[in-house]
Amino acid sequence: MSDSVRAKLFTRIGNTDDVIALRGLRDQFHEQMVTLQAEQPIEQFYTDLNEVHDALIRRAISLSEAKLARLGYGSPPVPYAYLLFGSGGRQEQTLSSDQDSGLIYEDAAEEAEREEIEEYFRLLSVTIVGTLQAIGYPPCEGNVISSNPLWCQSLSGWRAKLDGWFQEPDWECVRYLLIVADCRCVYGQDMLLHALKSHYYTDTLNNQTIVQHMINNTMRHKVLIGVFGQLLKEQYGEEAGSLDLKYGAYIPMVNAIRLTSIKAGVRETSTLSRIAKLSERGFFSEQDGLAFTAAFKLFMRLRLMTMTRTEDGVYTNSGKLPHAKLTRELVDELKAALRVVKKLQRRVQKQSKDRN
Amino acid sequence: MVKKLIVSLGALSLLFPAMAFADDPSAGTLNMGLNSIWVLVAAILVILMQGGFILLEAGSTRMKNAGHIAGKTVFTLGLCTLVYWAVGYAIAFGSDNAEHSISKIIGWGSYLFAPAVAAADGEALPSTIFFVFQLAFAAVSLSIAWGGFAERAKLSAYLVFTILFTAVVYPVISHWIWSPTGWLFAEGAQDYAGSTVVHLTGALAAFAATVLLKPRIGRFNKDGSANEILGHNQVFGALSVLLLWVGWFGFNAGSALGVGDGFFGYVAFNTQLGAAGGAVAALLISWLVNGKADITTTLNGGLAGLVAITATCAFVDPWAAVVIGLIAGVLVFFSAKFFEKIKVDDPIYALSVHGAAGIWGTLANGIFATDELAKKLNVGQGGIIDTGNWHQMWVQLESVLVCGGYVLVVSFIILGAMKLVMGLRVTEEQEIIGLDLSEHGAFGYPEQMKKAQSSL
Repeated sequence: MSDSVRAKLFTRIGNTDDVIALRGLRDQFHEQMVTLQAEQPIEQFYTDLNEVHDALIRRAISLSEAKLARLGYGSPPVPYAYLLFGSGGRQEQTLSSDQDSGLIYEDAAEEAEREEIEEYFRLLSVTIVGTLQAIGYPPCEGNVISSNPLWCQSLSGWRAKLDGWFQEPDWECVRYLLIVADCRCVYGQDMLLHALKSHYYTDTLNNQTIVQHMINNTMRHKVLIGVFGQLLKEQYGEEAGSLDLKYGAYIPMVNAIRLTSIKAGVRETSTLSRIAKLSERGFFSEQDGLAFTAAFKLFMRLRLMTMTRTEDGVYTNSGKLPHAKLTRELVDELKAALRVVKKLQRRVQKQSKDRN
Repeated sequence: MVKKLIVSLGALSLLFPAMAFADDPSAGTLNMGLNSIWVLVAAILVILMQGGFILLEAGSTRMKNAGHIAGKTVFTLGLCTLVYWAVGYAIAFGSDNAEHSISKIIGWGSYLFAPAVAAADGEALPSTIFFVFQLAFAAVSLSIAWGGFAERAKLSAYLVFTILFTAVVYPVISHWIWSPTGWLFAEGAQDYAGSTVVHLTGALAAFAATVLLKPRIGRFNKDGSANEILGHNQVFGALSVLLLWVGWFGFNAGSALGVGDGFFGYVAFNTQLGAAGGAVAALLISWLVNGKADITTTLNGGLAGLVAITATCAFVDPWAAVVIGLIAGVLVFFSAKFFEKIKVDDPIYALSVHGAAGIWGTLANGIFATDELAKKLNVGQGGIIDTGNWHQMWVQLESVLVCGGYVLVVSFIILGAMKLVMGLRVTEEQEIIGLDLSEHGAFGYPEQMKKAQSSL
């Protein structure tokens, strides 16, 4: 996308006052992006794409704020930050990503106001989630979403919750902690998230057993390459012959890099910038860093080729790479990249064992 | 009390002195008695294998058909018994035509078999026990064939096919290879307990049935990809394999038809090795190729090992039994994939477990049989490895091709005619609602199925 086109698009998003028009802009933009897909370097494509997603989400939030004001709830009583988790947090959203979100607001100055503030943000997040759904972002199936009170809290509430998770590292809590690691502020006061992250990293780095729990939690996704170097494809169903790129390549890599970053205290959220930072700090050799970057870029490119469809008005994706798109050259490239991830995975597991 | 007992026993021994002073039985009688005990126990074990088939078939299929699939086996076992008694045994082992050259092809006599009540002088085994043992084999072959019918054939198709299979398909093959007048027996075909006679025969009948019946609704998609129709109970599946495995000791070791010098122990020993090889190889190959160790494949592997060792258990060295089992385990995995690829729906994996492994077991004699054991049993000669001679291999290949050809052609004719005259398959509606309800009017799992229906 050229700069002028992009600037124009951002202006239009910023000036749109209703949800239907915003949805229209998203559809229009999607069509443009599909044609651009082949022409651009993959990083550039994702950067553009995620900037537009961010702009759409920001606009949806301010429209929601305005809607509440119109309904007589006033403006936000304290500063807050709207958070994205998952692929949104990692700036790796595809054309069809769902909403993984949270909200963090400043603590009330007076105890008396506490309930009222809480009520306002409950209402705001429900409104935002509804608006985003109307623009075609399906809600998160795992219920990691700001309209769930668990993910919409004051700063002190968040801190207490994190402490609870660290102390009670059962499977679910460890999953939540991993989700928080990918968290990014898309709208509002970045400082709030910054405060939370500092708390998070101090806690993690002081708690090595939690890292072991995190490894156990994430390493269950197997890289889809067999002992004979063959791709492990889907056997049955309409998608037989396809490759589960999301859970067999992309997610294992995201998980391994995230874990390495958490251990190293690297606070970047996107996988590529995590790799860059880890190489810079010497956790990866230069050669490994390049290999990991290349493998991840391939997965990002292939993720765009996975099966996308519009279902009930929202964009969804099975995460599977269809058999027809697996050309001979692509298969070779993919196998090489999967071997790299397998090596990385083994390395992460081994390091954790050495420590214990 | 004690006094009374002693008095009455004393009186009895006065009345029946033989009780106290019976003649010692002759060595021949003792020998016959021992043989009888072992072979009858073996026959019972083989009949118990029907329990294995009930669990295997029911476990590999869906809840809505469970009662039908399990219960029909009891019915067909009964019907098969009556038909084999009336006709089948006569064709397989009747010896009235022994002088005539037609006895090479079929036997004659002993219709509505009426055996002597005890063994005659010099007989190693009463003919009653021989009959029960042979009948149990016929019933196993028939139950293997049901694998091709599962979840969509009409009950009436089971009825008619039981009669025809037991009368004209199974006994003919059994005659060729096992009757002293059969032509393949004369050529020295080695099929100790029936990799071809029982397993390949059943599997090819299943193949004809499944081809003529067409795949179950929902098994394959329009684009040619397959859907997995999971069985409703893997625990039944595992238990069925154990039942069959144990029953197989009767199947193979019982085929010694006596106790003799204890050779049946060697047969049992090889049987266990072959089964073990099959189970281990199958789990490992599925793990290596698919990335996940597959339970169904493991169960099939154990059975394939048993099927393959069935022909070979008396002819090969222990190491060869292991190799035969291992290869059978790998073979069954790829065979199942192959049938899926050519879009043949094989719900119980009968074609792979009994067909592919049956062929492999029969041919394996041509490779691994030792001359020493062939001489001991007086059937054929050693295989390629022991003798360097391909003769036995050709005999084995011939018996697979000719027997397979006969079963395939006759089964297709029988089932094809049945399809024209009476129809083989239930209606689409009946298939969807399940055969428990459509064929019997009651569910095998009433609580669960009623719940499922009310939520539709």
